[in-house]
Amino acid sequence: MLNFVARRLLAILPVLLAVSLLTFLIASLLPGDLAYVILGDQATPENVAALRRDMGLDQPLWWRYLSWLGHVLQGDLGRSFRTGQTVLQAVAERIPVSLELMLMAEFIGLLIGVPLAIACAARAGGAFDRFMTGSAFAMLSMPSFLMAILLIYLFAVELRWLPATGYVPFTEEPLANLRFFVLPALTLALAEWPGIMRVLRSDMIATLQEDYIALAKAKGLKPARILFVHALKPSSLTLVTVTGINIGRLLGGTLIVESIFALPGIGRLLVGAIYTRDLVILQGVVLLVASGFVIVNFIVDMLYAVLDPRIRHGHA
Amino acid sequence: MTNLAAAARKHAPIFLVAAFTLLPPAGPAQAQKAGGSITVGQELDIPGFDPLKVGVYDTSTFTAAAAIFDTLTTLDEKGEAAPKLAVSWTHSDDYMSWTFKLREGVKFHDGTPFNAQAFKENFDRQKDPANKCRCAFYITNVKEVLAPDEYTVVYKLTDPSVNLPSVITIQSQNNAVHSPTAWKTKGDDYNRNPVGTGPYILKSWTAGDRMVLEKNPDYWNKGRPYLDRIILKPLPDAQSRFASLQSGEADIIWDDENDADNIMKAQKDSKLTVHTYKGSGAAVYAFNTKVAPFDDVRVRQALVMAIDRPKMSQAISNGLSRPATNPYGDGSWVKCKDDGALPFDVEKAKALIKDYGKPVEFKTLVTATPRGRMIGQVLQQFWKRAGANMEIEQVDQATIPPRAFMRQFQLIPWRIVDLADPDPQMYANFRSGSPLALANFADPELDRLLDHSRVTADPAARIEDYCAISRLINKEAVWFWTFQNTYYALSSAKLKGFPKMYNGVIDVSTTWLE
Repeated sequence: MLNFVARRLLAILPVLLAVSLLTFLIASLLPGDLAYVILGDQATPENVAALRRDMGLDQPLWWRYLSWLGHVLQGDLGRSFRTGQTVLQAVAERIPVSLELMLMAEFIGLLIGVPLAIACAARAGGAFDRFMTGSAFAMLSMPSFLMAILLIYLFAVELRWLPATGYVPFTEEPLANLRFFVLPALTLALAEWPGIMRVLRSDMIATLQEDYIALAKAKGLKPARILFVHALKPSSLTLVTVTGINIGRLLGGTLIVESIFALPGIGRLLVGAIYTRDLVILQGVVLLVASGFVIVNFIVDMLYAVLDPRIRHGHA
Repeated sequence: MTNLAAAARKHAPIFLVAAFTLLPPAGPAQAQKAGGSITVGQELDIPGFDPLKVGVYDTSTFTAAAAIFDTLTTLDEKGEAAPKLAVSWTHSDDYMSWTFKLREGVKFHDGTPFNAQAFKENFDRQKDPANKCRCAFYITNVKEVLAPDEYTVVYKLTDPSVNLPSVITIQSQNNAVHSPTAWKTKGDDYNRNPVGTGPYILKSWTAGDRMVLEKNPDYWNKGRPYLDRIILKPLPDAQSRFASLQSGEADIIWDDENDADNIMKAQKDSKLTVHTYKGSGAAVYAFNTKVAPFDDVRVRQALVMAIDRPKMSQAISNGLSRPATNPYGDGSWVKCKDDGALPFDVEKAKALIKDYGKPVEFKTLVTATPRGRMIGQVLQQFWKRAGANMEIEQVDQATIPPRAFMRQFQLIPWRIVDLADPDPQMYANFRSGSPLALANFADPELDRLLDHSRVTADPAARIEDYCAISRLINKEAVWFWTFQNTYYALSSAKLKGFPKMYNGVIDVSTTWLE
């Protein structure tokens, strides 16, 4: 097992390095020279040249990358030119919001998706199964910005049950905090459950064909017990993968959802950094988020090993 | 000295205003009510307040700055300079020097006394080349600020300015007065912990979420402000911002013409008020007159005459956009009987292009946004009808200024913003040799008029100059104007006392709740 962990960890390093290079290139190749952005209508050639010198923008790209990477390795991701905040400060302030949003969304998604998948698999091909498979398609094709506006209109403007926008920290007012998160998390979850349901449903149908299920049935076990105890765990390997990959998709979703619901999370930070060409924040946040994603998938790999002993012994 | 007499006459109303603002309002039509709290839904996150850090304030920062800070002067409802931290002012004959008498007994929120020295330190900090403040580019016209005694400051200018007191009214990075003690003791943290003399004190600020401002109990203007608390929140999405207003989570929100549907919805809703400010200035375009085909006046005139502004307004903003025929707009004190605007006349445009004889093909820069594309397409259609082929070149917003400075364009969009005096922008945009004279157009008569208007005190004479300038530019068609600046805020009908949105700023520091 230790050997397995070490191998996976080694494989992460080149991935992280590639991530850092890509992040840097994407930020540097965005159209619009930073010096011009900062100077605005005062961007005379002399002013621009002076500012570029000050900011090191006149240095070659490879040199800028290496010097940035050097600082990153020392734990210094830099400072926003707009707010003076360091990347780590900015991320530390905002990551709890995005994590709470993603966890709630994933939780709601599983809460909807798993029971529906089991119900569909139990009577595969039945009327309910066909209806839910169709609905899942419909939900998947609904963009989250549209869903968000529909939910706001219904629950905030018409019914007045939930707030349209806003946030309070969980540590200040836990209940109010949850109220603020319901609609944004639901928006993301409504795009998540179809994937969860479809993956689990097909794995479950396959599992239910296995001989040991037939044996369990023959023994006279209750159908519910067979479904939840005997069939669910062996069917959830793909689900775990999907859940891990979903974190990446959810992160993408937070860009839109946090802006619409005015949640002060990582997504908003990124969107703001893109609009204002705050390259230091942009590079730093993308690097941290991508590293986080790599690490989540590393943990997912470890979970496989827990779920399926064949993987940890290298026989897969 | 007739000049001095004229100046005294000109300034008499200012002294009257000064006397009035110190008195409690006598028998107002609506009784102001003290107390209560409002939430303001803004478009953007506020990056901070230290001019050395943020360089330039954006519209969201202006709103907070208007509550936390004071400026020397402010604009009254008529658009004229009125006292704030300065109680009176005089100028030298050549308008190169302005002397302001400061209000006595004013303190910053941290107890530091406000005086000429504090004001000078603010200015010197921005001007100091060692500080490399981006804000310094906006005060290049001020050579220095002197503090001859405790309550007198003197602006020494590099160019004459007849209207300096109204130009320095915006709550900008350059005009907001900060506590020198605060920035010295807080260092890097000052940016997010601003200290001013204004009616509200920063209580707390969660990045990306909310800024809580509490009433300043020791505000120099006794009885003000009315509200106990103002909460500023960035609500970046236009739809959910409007939903927050409808559901009562926000009391006032920023808006613009792009959001015409919601503005119209709010107009029909009796619980909401639509605040509109018809500012001066306009959305404008400059032809590069050094490059074919725009080196020929016939082509330029033809393109201007082919634009059907009312139809364009309908297409881009449901008709909310107000057509512009000159660079000043209805919001300016410059009103022209004849601004020389070319008429909308497609037949004449076709004839001019035919007369030119060569095919008219060119590129126009537009911002790579849905709105930028739409405007580009509408213009493209108009010009096609006149026989000209326009190609749309979509560029990032940020690349427009450098393309402008390097004159790498044939036709470029620009904006003349709402300012109390036309001189700063007109001089920069049209005086030959200016880095911002984008059209590369030089005309001795135009230069003479621009030079004359900036040293003339008599408003009537200046209006004549500016109208002559408009006629000249319209005739030569070196720039054209599409729509005037209109600023919007939507609020609950209970919010009262909301002032004009000068420069598009939502200033809630004087409002109250019914």
